[in-house]
Amino acid sequence: MSSPRTLLLAASLVWTGALVAQQRSVTTSEVFSRYADRVVKIQVVETGSAAKATIGSGFFVSGSGHLVTNYHVISKLIHDPDRYRAELIDVAGAVQPVAVLGVDVVHDLAVLGTEMRPRSYFSLGPVGIAQGHRLYSLGHPEDLGLSIVEGTYNGHLPHTRHPRIHFTGSLNPGMSGGPTITQEGRVIGINVATAGNQLSFLVPVDRAAGLLGKVLGPGDDPAARTLAEVGRQLRDHQDAYLRDMFAGETKTVELGPYRLITEPAPFFRCWADATRRQELPYEKVRHHCSTDDYLFIAGDQSTGVVDLDHEMISARKLNRSQFFSLYTSVFAIDNTPGGEEEHVTSWRCGTRNVRNASLPMRAVLCLRRYRKLGELYDGVLKVAVLGRGDSGLVSTLTLSGVTFENVDRLARRYLERISWR
Amino acid sequence: MAMILEVVHPGGARTWHRLGDHPLTIGRGLSNDLILDDPYADARHARIGFDESGAPVIDDLGSVNGLIAHDARLPGRVALQSGAEIRVGRTVLRFRDADEPVPPALVDAIAPSAHRPSAKSASRSRRARWARRVVRWGRTPTGRLLTAATAAAAIALYSWLGSAERSSASSALFAALGFALIIALWAGIWAVASRVTVQRFHFVGHLGVASLVTLQGLAWGIGIEWVSFFFPDAGLSDFLSIAIGLLLLSTLVAGHLSLASGLSRQRQWRAGFIVAGTALLIGGLATLVEEESFSDVPTFSGVVKPVAGEWVPTATVEEFGGVMAALKGQVDEMARP
Repeated sequence: MSSPRTLLLAASLVWTGALVAQQRSVTTSEVFSRYADRVVKIQVVETGSAAKATIGSGFFVSGSGHLVTNYHVISKLIHDPDRYRAELIDVAGAVQPVAVLGVDVVHDLAVLGTEMRPRSYFSLGPVGIAQGHRLYSLGHPEDLGLSIVEGTYNGHLPHTRHPRIHFTGSLNPGMSGGPTITQEGRVIGINVATAGNQLSFLVPVDRAAGLLGKVLGPGDDPAARTLAEVGRQLRDHQDAYLRDMFAGETKTVELGPYRLITEPAPFFRCWADATRRQELPYEKVRHHCSTDDYLFIAGDQSTGVVDLDHEMISARKLNRSQFFSLYTSVFAIDNTPGGEEEHVTSWRCGTRNVRNASLPMRAVLCLRRYRKLGELYDGVLKVAVLGRGDSGLVSTLTLSGVTFENVDRLARRYLERISWR
Repeated sequence: MAMILEVVHPGGARTWHRLGDHPLTIGRGLSNDLILDDPYADARHARIGFDESGAPVIDDLGSVNGLIAHDARLPGRVALQSGAEIRVGRTVLRFRDADEPVPPALVDAIAPSAHRPSAKSASRSRRARWARRVVRWGRTPTGRLLTAATAAAAIALYSWLGSAERSSASSALFAALGFALIIALWAGIWAVASRVTVQRFHFVGHLGVASLVTLQGLAWGIGIEWVSFFFPDAGLSDFLSIAIGLLLLSTLVAGHLSLASGLSRQRQWRAGFIVAGTALLIGGLATLVEEESFSDVPTFSGVVKPVAGEWVPTATVEEFGGVMAALKGQVDEMARP
């Protein structure tokens, strides 16, 4: 019932046990020997200490030394170009510096450039395959050396805002940015995340082809690989899907006497849950909708999630005062996303008792701003409906990595949409 | 010119004696003319008499601790002048002129008028009399114990009303017991301090003071919760919290000092305000530093109260937009490098 937690695949350089490349069949070993020299290890190194900060994988996509990897593999370089540098290590062990030429933070992709001229490379282009098709993923799991992993293609994920391929195969940290290919060497996607138990995710190849096309296009644009560009991409992205959210006809759900917004767009996933136990003098019913689309920023900081949470509590054996004490404690629970001082400011909150067309409520808005990404904010709106002695509703809208205009617009619409049944 | 002896007893109580033509013996012994309740005084400590020329003097009768003025032991005989101040043990003897002027009496707003009292002022004075009687009764050991019991009961009730567990009664009992334990410890510490300074334990007294302040604190705490529920936007509740905190803390310190020192009432309050002010200043600075430092946990007023919707003053959604814009200004300021 809970959403699968995806782990980013850039290794944090922690030894987690040996993992040997799976070379079960002749075909797999052939695939490996044929394509291994097109895949490299990418590492981000701290300039001062010369220590590895992140490792991942990448692969050549042109004869003039262009490589594709994940944005999260090289994000430290974008955030702190003076402190970090990036280099590749090819299959023969040769080390070569690399530069970032373009990023797509929404799809977690980056195109890198190097002086090295590969003998062969993958051409990126559309490939049509059916569910169950055998695929091979290449990369450097846990910095243990280039490995090949067999798995199957299981189509696109149905509920994500940006496309992800569902790959049934064991991706591990360090394989991020590596290619997943067919037997014939056609790239299907770029390794990006896993939820464990062979449940892994790829960025479709067409997104990488698009980014490469932009990089290879006319005129070099240094701004295309800066933090300002990351901020611009996040702003455009959020604006595209949030602008009209909660406007017009919106699906609603009824919890006790309350009518509330649910599943505001197809890429939201909703769950419901109730707490009714003999030993508890109250009942809780919870309805929760969330997008799964974490956008990696750097370190532990991610953004991009929109989350709706409704929790109705009703008293069974509590007097009015006890019930409101419980209601206050539920309302005061902090479910705001965490953050790092390097990336975001502290929260600032404002509280008002607000009345919409239908009912009175206590509303709190907490806001914080991203420090380096231009005009982007996290906003959390918490609402407790007032005026009933035996039941209460705490509703929370969490918006992360959005413009203030969208915080303002969506918070107002959200407040207007809470009503009695 | 007659001389008046003002005696400041340990604990701060004062008595006045007119010095006549006869000598006056001073000491702890019950045969003295002026009997001191002071363990540092000898049974026969000193005598006030006259020298050959008839001028008033005080003689040390060979006491252990002697006669002290300005922190120095005086010789066996000292001439007395008005304004002199001599310490016998922990008791202070002040010699004052009987003609010393005194300030005019304060006007008592609640004293009944000398003329026909109106029904209103009569009832007001009745109320004042009652108030005085209650205050006086509150200072008796029974009154103080009852105050402590009331505070414990209030804590239990508050805890019970705030508990959403099935075992709310036991949590209320635990809260009351915890309170009793802490307050007994607190009063005990003050009682020991009193024993050292004024030779009296006053345990029940200290218990009463601490309980009374706890009760007031609880009442104010609940009051502020309600204020911040009805008016979440005004900085009113912050301001009130500070003012009330200052008042309660200084009441606590002054209350304890009234039992544990010989300070005048004015000085007790001054000490109270100094202690409370310092504590609040440190607290305020700590809060300021905390506000400056980074945190990914928000703080907000999440109090909800059982009030019918129509009684709650509310803003419109449009007005809530103003709150959001103000927050934007704050975080934009914080994000500035």
